[in-house]
Amino acid sequence: MNNRRRRALGVLIYSLPLLVFLLSLLFGTVHIPLKDLLKTLASPLFPSLKQGLPANSLIIIFSIRIPRLLLGLAVGASLSVSGASLQALFKNPLVNEFILGISSGAAFGASLSMVFLGRSFPPQISAFVFAIAAMVIVLVIARKSDSPLIALLLTGVIVSAFFSALLSLIEFFASPYALQALFYWLMGNLWRASWGDLAISLPLMGAGILILILMRWRMNVLSMSDEEAKTLGINIRKEKLLVILMTAVITAAATAIAGIIGWIGLIVPHLVRMMVGVDNRKVIPMSAALGASFLMIADNITRSIASFEVPVGIFTSLIGIPFFIVLLKRSKKVWL
Amino acid sequence: MSVLVQNLSFRYRHFALHIEHLQFESAKMTSIVGPNGAGKTTFLKCITAILPVAKGSLFIDGRDIGAMREDERARLLAYVPQEHSSIFNYTVLDFILMGRAAYLPMFSTPSARDVEIAQEALDFVALEHYAARPYFQLSSGERRLVLIARALAQKSDVLILDEPTSFLDPKHETEILELAKKLAAEKQKTVLVTLHNLDMAVKYSDAMVFMKQGQVVASGRPDDILDEALLERVYEIKMSIIRYNGRKFIVI
Repeated sequence: MNNRRRRALGVLIYSLPLLVFLLSLLFGTVHIPLKDLLKTLASPLFPSLKQGLPANSLIIIFSIRIPRLLLGLAVGASLSVSGASLQALFKNPLVNEFILGISSGAAFGASLSMVFLGRSFPPQISAFVFAIAAMVIVLVIARKSDSPLIALLLTGVIVSAFFSALLSLIEFFASPYALQALFYWLMGNLWRASWGDLAISLPLMGAGILILILMRWRMNVLSMSDEEAKTLGINIRKEKLLVILMTAVITAAATAIAGIIGWIGLIVPHLVRMMVGVDNRKVIPMSAALGASFLMIADNITRSIASFEVPVGIFTSLIGIPFFIVLLKRSKKVWL
Repeated sequence: MSVLVQNLSFRYRHFALHIEHLQFESAKMTSIVGPNGAGKTTFLKCITAILPVAKGSLFIDGRDIGAMREDERARLLAYVPQEHSSIFNYTVLDFILMGRAAYLPMFSTPSARDVEIAQEALDFVALEHYAARPYFQLSSGERRLVLIARALAQKSDVLILDEPTSFLDPKHETEILELAKKLAAEKQKTVLVTLHNLDMAVKYSDAMVFMKQGQVVASGRPDDILDEALLERVYEIKMSIIRYNGRKFIVI
């Protein structure tokens, strides 16, 4: 790819989230024409524009569509950036954002809240607490091993299995109503988006993504063997811990509010590497932009595909798995 | 810069490394030789602090290596491993740029000056046209040169190469050792290299260290220390030394 085409691709990828965001405001069960949409968007600045607008358009745009799109943008970016970061850190392009037991912890936390604390208590808080708890358990167990990365992967699998077993136990005791809500949450979707929830989760995801983007070049060095990274002058213990903590925070914040949305952390960084190469100075920020756009588009499709809403997590898995099979077949071309 | 080793000890299971006293001079190339399992690589990994060493056993120009931060150490001492095994196929220039990590804060990316330094390192190993080429597309010999270039980008005074010529043909072997020698002679670097090829070690080294079972058996100028008795003592086989054109050759 020549420099001009590479630059054009960069401009396209970085402007995609804004384009998709604006276009997605037109999607939904209630049709809002472009003219009304523009008037609605401008109405906070020019109150006179509110006249003649359909009564519910302000609520639909400002209370439903914008929060939902912001959530899709942040969750898509979070899952992609954490996937790309962990792949660099573990020197393994097959690692995804859930290996540290975070998703199982979050799933258990949410189920605990939904089944035992009832509807009045938001499941996000418990999901976040247990996602972080699962990650801390993994880090503490793997801490003193001779080969910390392998220990981390294995401990992640074990802790995930443990929390999955606890989740099954809760499902066993749950009432049919709680079980239904729980299953829907586990499938992953963005309908819970509200300004109240976003006020907590957006700053967490934003800060984590920002720190990981700032560390984008460092990830190149961290993707070398530990011996190499150390002799190149990196405090690998400190920097790896920071990357792991940031990925845990953004994944936990995303999972707590949107449930389990799989495969994005695997698909998006791979797509980016296929387009621009393996340099994390591009891979990390472009994964954020592409991941954000991907989840907003996926959510548009699942909202519009049928008369009822299909959880977006099902959709990302359905397209993620065939994509991954193709990827494995072409693995040499992708990574080497 | 000179490297001083004083009462260095390292123990791992049944293997123990102990070195009473050794000094590596600047602008000199020193080869560390000995049979497999003698502790050569372990010794290098102690010097580079890849393996934990006690404070007060290794010094660079009087500064304690064991008490330094990683970035401080990397600015003084660069290590060229036998192999690089990342799965990600960085371009040669991106790969060499990583040699600048010790000079950059955690949240920053390389500047134009860093790119210039990486390019200079690439020029020095005569691979200037390979900057945009993916690392894994290079031959074994070229990869070794790129690893050396990355170490050069660290701008350190001490350069440590772990078996840089293993699995290379005689042409590439010569190329790498010529380069190491040039770095000592022209850039005044303290060059430490582990080698198996004794003839090459004799030809290129200013000094040699013979190791066996984690200890130094002999050290000094090749002409001063090399004899058949030493070789038999270290390698436990009979070897002859013949002189040709003023140089010593080892015949098994």
